Amino acid sequence: MIEVTGSLKSRLALWLLVTVSGLGALLLLEAYFGARNAAQRAFDSQLEAAGLTIAEGIQWQGGQPVVKIPAAALSILATHHQERVFYAVLDARGETITADLDFSVPAAWQDAAAQRPVWRDARFLGADWRLHGRELESAGWQTQDPVQIWVGHTLSGRRALAHELFERSVSRFLAMVLLAGVLMLLAMRAALTPMRRLRHLLRQRTAEDMRPLDARVPEELRELAETLDTLFARQRDSHDALLRFTADASHQLKTPLAGLQHTSELALEERSPEAWHEALTMIHRRAADTSRLASQLLSLARLRHLTGHHETQCVELATLVRDTLLESAASLAARDHDLGLAPLPEAPTTIRGEPWALRELLGNLIDNALRYTPAGTTITVRVKRDAESVELVVEDDGPGVPTAWLGRLHQPFERGGRQDTEGSGLGLAIVHSIALRHAAELSLEAGDQGGLRVRLRFPFAATGTTS
Amino acid sequence: MRILVVEDDALLARSLNKSLAPLGHQVESFTTYQAAHAAMERAEFDLILLDLGLPDGDGLGLLSWLRDRGNATPVLIITARDAIDDRVRGLDEGADDYLAKPFSLAELEARVRALLRRSQQRTSNRLSLGPLSFDAQSGAVYLDATPLDLPHRERCLIEGLLQHGERIAPRELLENRVFGFAEVGSNALEVYVSRLRKRLEGSGLRVRTFRGLGYRLEMDTP
Repeated sequence: MIEVTGSLKSRLALWLLVTVSGLGALLLLEAYFGARNAAQRAFDSQLEAAGLTIAEGIQWQGGQPVVKIPAAALSILATHHQERVFYAVLDARGETITADLDFSVPAAWQDAAAQRPVWRDARFLGADWRLHGRELESAGWQTQDPVQIWVGHTLSGRRALAHELFERSVSRFLAMVLLAGVLMLLAMRAALTPMRRLRHLLRQRTAEDMRPLDARVPEELRELAETLDTLFARQRDSHDALLRFTADASHQLKTPLAGLQHTSELALEERSPEAWHEALTMIHRRAADTSRLASQLLSLARLRHLTGHHETQCVELATLVRDTLLESAASLAARDHDLGLAPLPEAPTTIRGEPWALRELLGNLIDNALRYTPAGTTITVRVKRDAESVELVVEDDGPGVPTAWLGRLHQPFERGGRQDTEGSGLGLAIVHSIALRHAAELSLEAGDQGGLRVRLRFPFAATGTTS
Repeated sequence: MRILVVEDDALLARSLNKSLAPLGHQVESFTTYQAAHAAMERAEFDLILLDLGLPDGDGLGLLSWLRDRGNATPVLIITARDAIDDRVRGLDEGADDYLAKPFSLAELEARVRALLRRSQQRTSNRLSLGPLSFDAQSGAVYLDATPLDLPHRERCLIEGLLQHGERIAPRELLENRVFGFAEVGSNALEVYVSRLRKRLEGSGLRVRTFRGLGYRLEMDTP
């Protein structure tokens, strides 16, 4: 059963999304703070420049500082945004010499500015401000009291710049994500091309085409391609075997059918009822054998070639043998034989197997014994148990089989040199196939009374074991 | 007896007909699912011979339809499908017996005889084979209509044998019937069987031993 569990594309896209959004969040945070800092730095140096320009406009007249604010200073302060500017010049005592707004710089800030130039954030007159303060020593040879220059402006210029910088980073980032996505899609298409090629190749194949694959594949697909090749090879083998078997089988069926045809043809030319009767008897026997042959061929074909799945279960061999024998012994075919069952072991005789196949196996062994031995022969079926195995034995006291033949009997169409009997030569081949399916050992040997003894050793399956 | 044959192969249907009719049966043949279905709806039969592979449907469908209606007419399945799985499925659906093609007509006649007798015995409450019969109600045994005065254990043995008809009565089963669950020696049953054999001498019936399996009551056939 093929179950589709999502697509590779969407899985890759999901991973990309997760990675990009994680990384993106970090990058955006960084861009945000970076933009703010850059704007701060740029405008702080503007404030400094404005402060210095004002400083140049201060002169001392009679020990008193005279302030004349240069226009350049104000134009530096006021950027092209709607900004409010502030400036103040304080004397050494902290008194305002000149100022454009009514804001007194806190004493702590003045003390700090006395040491070195300072920048401060403040809120007054309903707005956020950035202030810069520096102390100016008088130039020249006369020592004068220092003055402090404070300049400042509202924040909209800085905010606008930070915003602009941030916006630019974001759009660059988005462009990059888009580009990466497109590239990934293209890469995925390219990477899946060998897969599509393989699919195309497989689709083009006809049902009979089981040649090895002729395809260029990347390393990652090599295993899949090789597995497919192995599969093809196996199918090829089983297909060939099936063809051989079919040819064999049709040959085997043609012979008796030809016999039927000839016999009936000759009988039709006869005129005497005795000849007709004789021919009909022959036809009847042949027809029965032929139909039996056909069903055995089918069994064998099924056993050999339809090995797809077989469900095994725990089977109590002794019970199965007993039930099968109750049926076989009662059949018409067994009327003239003494078909019996030796006492069954007390111990469990559990094996793993398919009940239908085991019945077929035993049925064939019994059928063989009935067919290849004369009337009155004793046939005994035995089930034995030892530590690791369960043994099924079918033994007769009939004429037996020459030792030289014993090793070949399980091959199809082998009749142990007994072309005289009506057997098909398939019974033991079927038994052999079923034994293989059950990992059982099949052995054929001369019995104690000179007949044939067929032994099958099955591995014992302790109850409760599963496979 | 009225027998319904559902078989699509004309030659086979004809030979079934020819082999069953001389035994005194009235045989009706149908070749399709539809026709057989209609016949089953219209009439009662004593036995149905059913082929599974019909041109217009599966014979098993016909069988389960019949059983669903509570019809207990004996059904003998005849099919070319020889897989045992199919056979088990057929018996599960309520078939009484199963013959895989190819089969000999002698085999078919034996099965038909056994099935008809079993269904008759079900209705008459009397087990019988040839001259021997057993009244399940009173427990009386008759040979050629003469009541036999038998000890209890021999009566049980006869009942056990007759219940299996022409099939083999398994030994364990007979032992349980004759001795209950008491521990008995391996020869104990054989003793009663040989007594029964003596009684049946000259009656045309005999008890055949199946080594290790059980016993079967048979008609003496020349």
